[in-house]
Amino acid sequence: MAEEKDCLRGDVEKGEEPVVTITGGACSGKQAAEEPMKVEAEAGPDACSDDLSCGEADIDPSLLELVDEEKCRSIRKQYRQLIYNVQQNRDDIVNTTSESLTEALEEANVLFDAVSRTREAALDAQFLVLASDLGKEKAKQLNSDMSLFNQVAFCDFLLIFVGLNWMEDDGRDALSDCDDNIVRSFWETVQKEATSWMLQAETFHFIFGSFKSEPSARKPRLEHRKRVHRMEENGDMPTKLRKLDLSSNQEATEKEVERILGLLQTYFQKYPDTPVSYFEFVIDPNSFSRTVENIFYVSFIIRDGFARIRLDHDRLPILEPININHVGEGNDSSSHCRKQGVISLSLQDWKNIVATFEISEAMITNSY
Amino acid sequence: MSQKPKSRGHAGTQAELGSGGEEAPSTSRGPGGAASQGGRRAEAPPAPGPRSQKQLELKVAELVQFLLIKDQRKIPIRRTDILRHVVGDYKDVLPELLRRAAERLEYVFGYRLVELEPRSNTYILVNTLEPVEEDAEMRGDQGTPTTGLLMIVLGLIFMKGNSIKETEVWDFLRRLGVHPTKKHLIFGDPKKLITEDFVRQRYLEYRRIPHTDPVDYELQWGPRTNLETSKMKVLKFVAKVHNQDPRDWPAQYCEALAEEEARARPQTGGTAPTPAPSS
Repeated sequence: MAEEKDCLRGDVEKGEEPVVTITGGACSGKQAAEEPMKVEAEAGPDACSDDLSCGEADIDPSLLELVDEEKCRSIRKQYRQLIYNVQQNRDDIVNTTSESLTEALEEANVLFDAVSRTREAALDAQFLVLASDLGKEKAKQLNSDMSLFNQVAFCDFLLIFVGLNWMEDDGRDALSDCDDNIVRSFWETVQKEATSWMLQAETFHFIFGSFKSEPSARKPRLEHRKRVHRMEENGDMPTKLRKLDLSSNQEATEKEVERILGLLQTYFQKYPDTPVSYFEFVIDPNSFSRTVENIFYVSFIIRDGFARIRLDHDRLPILEPININHVGEGNDSSSHCRKQGVISLSLQDWKNIVATFEISEAMITNSY
Repeated sequence: MSQKPKSRGHAGTQAELGSGGEEAPSTSRGPGGAASQGGRRAEAPPAPGPRSQKQLELKVAELVQFLLIKDQRKIPIRRTDILRHVVGDYKDVLPELLRRAAERLEYVFGYRLVELEPRSNTYILVNTLEPVEEDAEMRGDQGTPTTGLLMIVLGLIFMKGNSIKETEVWDFLRRLGVHPTKKHLIFGDPKKLITEDFVRQRYLEYRRIPHTDPVDYELQWGPRTNLETSKMKVLKFVAKVHNQDPRDWPAQYCEALAEEEARARPQTGGTAPTPAPSS
């Protein structure tokens, strides 16, 4: 190696020397494999031939530069080609037991003979780094082969494990073309098996759910946590109840109306042709709100034509049934024009009525 | 509702501290639990004085909730976050709080609060209960089934000598229909899942291999993996898939055995939660 240094010292720029040491160093790194030894041996005599050319170059450096420009360009081109090839065939070189790495090294060595300037030498160095990386990988391969683990077999075994043995013969990409369900069941089965080998803590979720998690991880989570504390008791429940109320209200109204209609008709059957005092019917002496509700429901009954309200001789409102017989009469007079009545009742009014009419109990009983 | 992250409290707090009817949640910190609504940090922080058991208990409860929720994403919980969001000026009793919280987590949930790496000041929750076959059905919907994929990758890594290249992983996964660039039915973006999500959750380590062109990366086990599972377990998983005995791979089996022995030896710090003293 010292020889190489000396012979190139002639007209060489200082930059070359470190390059030489890199080359030397890379060579020693490959001592493990047999082939590089040959390379080193070959480098010896070649270096000597350089000796002669260097001597000549000493005479006329400027002329040398001009002449070699073409040559250098072609050397660089060849180096680049070599590097490219090796990179492309990297997998091939590393995984198979071919001699391609050795051949590439020998080719580089031949090229190096003609190298006299930094640029090409740098390319040579680049190539050697690449080659030594590949060499390292090949060595690693040697190790792992001993443990007898075959990835491809692992893959096939996974499929068998899940129960998809008929997929084996499809060659590569077995799972990519098939049914979604099969893919899902494959991963679920693997998941099930995998989780039994890990001590994963289950993720914690509130039963009634939490607010939709926003994309960023931390701050919104905090707010979500606070909100959950405060509103989890209060927030969720009221909205749910409200929803229920709305939907049930619709039916509840109709049900109530029907129920009250039933009560009314029962009364009319018991006492035929006796109209009932409106106030006596609707008023609940114990609850003002129920009274208002009753008025509400009775108004539906009247609207639907199951009962009639009119003023009697005392100018007090009474409810009268509408029989099928009456329907004819009633329709003639009242169907052409809709009549509207508005009843307003204040708390005081209600109390007065209860007192005046001496209403002791509600005619419309509660359904519950 | 106060938007400052300092104001924390929960429904229990309100009733307890008798500030029901207030809109802002009262914080459990503040002198003697008295009305310091909104936990305004702009004012001078109250002098930490002797704290009642009740206050400490409250803090521990909050800490437990915080840890449980933070663990949802499986990203390690940082000590600074704990200080910032929960503990506040109870900093001086942080080790005590952590100890109690860890105790609570272990007794009530069966989860261990472990420091990811010594002196890393990040924590994770690890299950203490061995998974039972029957539970697999009962386990609710825990999101996408990524553990299967993770276990396969971990198995690959271990069987190939504790480190593999990313390209090898993809060569393997391609055969199972998982491509780095194609959208997957279950996993969405598998490349992101493996090289980012799992790494963030500290299941895997993802490093660039120097001097490669085109750039290549290598994958190794992350610290969380060592806490949640072991080489022996992964080997057994692989063996089960092959329907063989783990001893059929002597090199890996020896390695796994060595690790088991190392764990069994009572080590300094071992696996107990050792919260570092608050600085």
